Amino acid sequence: MKTMQKMSSMPILLTMPALGVLLAVFGIPLILLFLTSLNAPALSLVNYVVFFEQRSYVAILLLTLEISAVATAICLLIGYPTAYLIVVSGRARPVLMVLVFLTWLTSALVRTYAWTVVLGDNGLINSLLLNVGLIDSPLPLIYNRFAVYVGMVHIMLPMMILPIISVMMSIDSSLMAAARSMGAKPFTAFLRVYFPLSIPGIRSGCILVFVVCLGFYITPQALGGLGDTMLSALINSQLTTSLDLAPTAAASFILLAITVVVLSAVGVNLAGAHSQAGSPALKLRQDRLRVLTRAIRYLNEFVLPRRARRWTAKLYQTQHHTSLWKIVGAIFIAIVMFYLLLPGVIVIIISFNSGEFLEFPPREVSLRWYYSFFSDPSWIAAAWNSFQFGLIVSGLSTIIGTMAAFGLSRCSSGLRSSLTMVILTPITIPVIVVGVAVYLGLAKLGLIGTSTGIILGHTIGAIGYVVVIVMATLSGFDRTLEQAAMSMRAGPTQTFMRVTLPLIRSGIIGGALFAFLASFDEVIVTSFVGGYAIPTLPLKMLENLKQQVDPTIAAVGSLLTLLPIVWLVVLYFTLWRNQGTLGKPAMNPT
Amino acid sequence: MNLKLKSHLPSEDKVLEKSPVPIEIEFCNVTKMYGAVAAVKDISLSVSRGEFLTILGPSGSGKTTALMLLAGFTAPSRGDILIAGKSVSDVPSYRRDQGIVFQSYALFPHLTVRRNLEFPLEMRGIKAAERAARVNRMLARVHLDEFGNRLPSQLSGGQQQRVALARALISDPPVLLLDEPLGALDRNLREQMQVEIKDLHKEFGKTTICVTHDQEEALTLSDRIVVMRAGQIDQIDTPEALYDRPKTRFIANFLGEANILENAAFKIESDVVPSSEMIAMLRPERISVNARSAARREDADQRQSVSGTVEDMIYAGPLRKYRVRVGNAVLIAREHVASGQEVFRSGDEVRLDWLRSDIRFVAA
Repeated sequence: MKTMQKMSSMPILLTMPALGVLLAVFGIPLILLFLTSLNAPALSLVNYVVFFEQRSYVAILLLTLEISAVATAICLLIGYPTAYLIVVSGRARPVLMVLVFLTWLTSALVRTYAWTVVLGDNGLINSLLLNVGLIDSPLPLIYNRFAVYVGMVHIMLPMMILPIISVMMSIDSSLMAAARSMGAKPFTAFLRVYFPLSIPGIRSGCILVFVVCLGFYITPQALGGLGDTMLSALINSQLTTSLDLAPTAAASFILLAITVVVLSAVGVNLAGAHSQAGSPALKLRQDRLRVLTRAIRYLNEFVLPRRARRWTAKLYQTQHHTSLWKIVGAIFIAIVMFYLLLPGVIVIIISFNSGEFLEFPPREVSLRWYYSFFSDPSWIAAAWNSFQFGLIVSGLSTIIGTMAAFGLSRCSSGLRSSLTMVILTPITIPVIVVGVAVYLGLAKLGLIGTSTGIILGHTIGAIGYVVVIVMATLSGFDRTLEQAAMSMRAGPTQTFMRVTLPLIRSGIIGGALFAFLASFDEVIVTSFVGGYAIPTLPLKMLENLKQQVDPTIAAVGSLLTLLPIVWLVVLYFTLWRNQGTLGKPAMNPT
Repeated sequence: MNLKLKSHLPSEDKVLEKSPVPIEIEFCNVTKMYGAVAAVKDISLSVSRGEFLTILGPSGSGKTTALMLLAGFTAPSRGDILIAGKSVSDVPSYRRDQGIVFQSYALFPHLTVRRNLEFPLEMRGIKAAERAARVNRMLARVHLDEFGNRLPSQLSGGQQQRVALARALISDPPVLLLDEPLGALDRNLREQMQVEIKDLHKEFGKTTICVTHDQEEALTLSDRIVVMRAGQIDQIDTPEALYDRPKTRFIANFLGEANILENAAFKIESDVVPSSEMIAMLRPERISVNARSAARREDADQRQSVSGTVEDMIYAGPLRKYRVRVGNAVLIAREHVASGQEVFRSGDEVRLDWLRSDIRFVAA
């Protein structure tokens, strides 16, 4: 009996380190922030009243909602057909998915920089048109709303496409065949069967994109004009310029409240009959969870022999697109892929320029800016800092996150969903709110401007990613394997080391790499917590992005674009090593 | 006829304890609660060394819980479990000496067949050379010599099943637990594996507890069968006794087919005087179907006969199954197909008869 009691209380103990870090760095500060916004102990709503009395603030708030909503809508309009075309593309599917995945993993900062290169007055498009002689003066392509949408949609589109693909891939293709057999025309079958079943994917995608839009201000700031200030940018400037935290706190909570309200509305409306149970907030987290779960599955897909996974689809293949539709589809997906990949390619090419001004295509190929990067101590120091932080954050969050995921997978389901919800909060609410809360928390701990502070700030988010990925791996793990090991005299430790760990290793490695990348790219929390005292690569890039003086940024951008490719290759090989033996032609000896 | 209704009297244990074969496993008033629900309610049971005992029951009857308790994956809420005379309620599964074959086989997917078989030996600290020798012997025994370097996913279902059995037996544990061992196999393979399991049991002589919902599996494999219902033991008996003399209506229906002669239009003739709560039961194969005009049998004075109308006939290979309306009741009769036998069709008037001694009385 004693051992049983110990065993049943163990799982929750495993989540304690994660909850502890979260509470100290983010949870308690968030509560303090709320109290600050109420001018505690006076508890007045004056800060909120002031906010809403400022006409310009309200305008910014509405604009934030507008930009987020429009960007989400554009993403959906482009993303849904793209997802569908990728799912039905057969042979090309894995390749297309890798391309979307790569875009998703490429630093948002680099992609934003790439758009300044493409859209700028001396940028790619304008110089091309000027050279050809179609225009006399540069078109106003940048520093306006158009550029904001181009950049935002580019950054968000993979986050829309991936969840929709994942849901579409789980739709049983025999259902369409069934609908057709009952006399439904292809389009009717799509509308009545396929589309309703893909709605959960639309919902996840929209929620994901919308929330990220609300909190992300780097892109609108870099590509937009003065009239395109988002609420998150306002919070950022308030925090950096004013000593009084109360108005910032109020603005943060207004953003948070609007997020929650809009999400619950969207969650309920779009979910329809599918979801009567569960709070929308919970669903948001589960949606987020599902995205990453699928992300892991895509990667697994590359490992499986193609024929093995496609034969059922072949069996029920009903889609005989007429060639016209095929051509339209191919053109559409080609345009989308071009749009997704263009910035990365441009950055890489342009980084080989030899002159002071970046031209496209470069007149002569030179490694000048790479040399400049590697010989500039400030760039190298920043890169080294980022690398160190990435490693430490990755190690820390992998240990804490794996423990938490392990504990969560063994909790009762009620406890699991609420604890998961708590642990994933830092990656499910607008990042600017996380930044402000962490800033407050670390200020109380006296860690502002320290490496420890930055590491803690990154770790709370990274833990979330590790938990999601490891839990996804664990959900496919057959617990009877552990029972089997125990029945063969393997104690709990041996069981974990010999059976559980080898089987979930790919998930842990995936989580660690993801955590590294999340930390390596992080700029918003870093800018608050580090106070620019400790330069990291993204911070230095952001600085350069604003000033646009040092073309070295092109070389950095190019290197950062290649990073996710390296990352994917690493992941591929760890998975391949894990399951490679399965890939050998399996003889069937019956 | 044995009409004793109390499901399991302690006196029966006493009888077993005195027998020369020692008791290997003992359940003493074991109860397992999940919240307010008792998955297993106060069960007592003794298993002799070397016995093949099957726990049979529908899903939710508590049979899997009973096995989990025995395996040590969960602890009893009340009562005690003894293995070889020692209480194991506090012993975690990894200190119990038993081999388990899981329903899903639970073969380690990342280890080859050979490494899977070595695992229990390694955990017992056996040296590599001896491990290899024992694995080779066991692989030969289950006819998988050439498959040692395959991964489980590269084997067929039947081969996986054999690996699972081999892995459970290789460390030579005194007790073998089988959880729905044949559930994942198709019919033909299942019959083959039943023979295989029987052979292994004969050869290794392990005390074996098997949990299943498949009555055929239970009848073919077991020395004794425990029928469980709603967390309690309904009856413990040999397969033959259980089929021939079920104590309850539930068992009569669960094992094979039964005609329950409740409120029948005709009076049941029997030499036994049943108590009022008992219902008459007759197995379909005990009923013979004759033409109305057929000559009466020699042993007619020991038989009861009734007239009826054939509702339909189902041909099932070696058997013909008739549904015959007798007054307000429909009786099922089963006859082996034999040459020269008269075949009846729907609407035919027939006479059914059976030996009065074939009537059984079961609790409602």
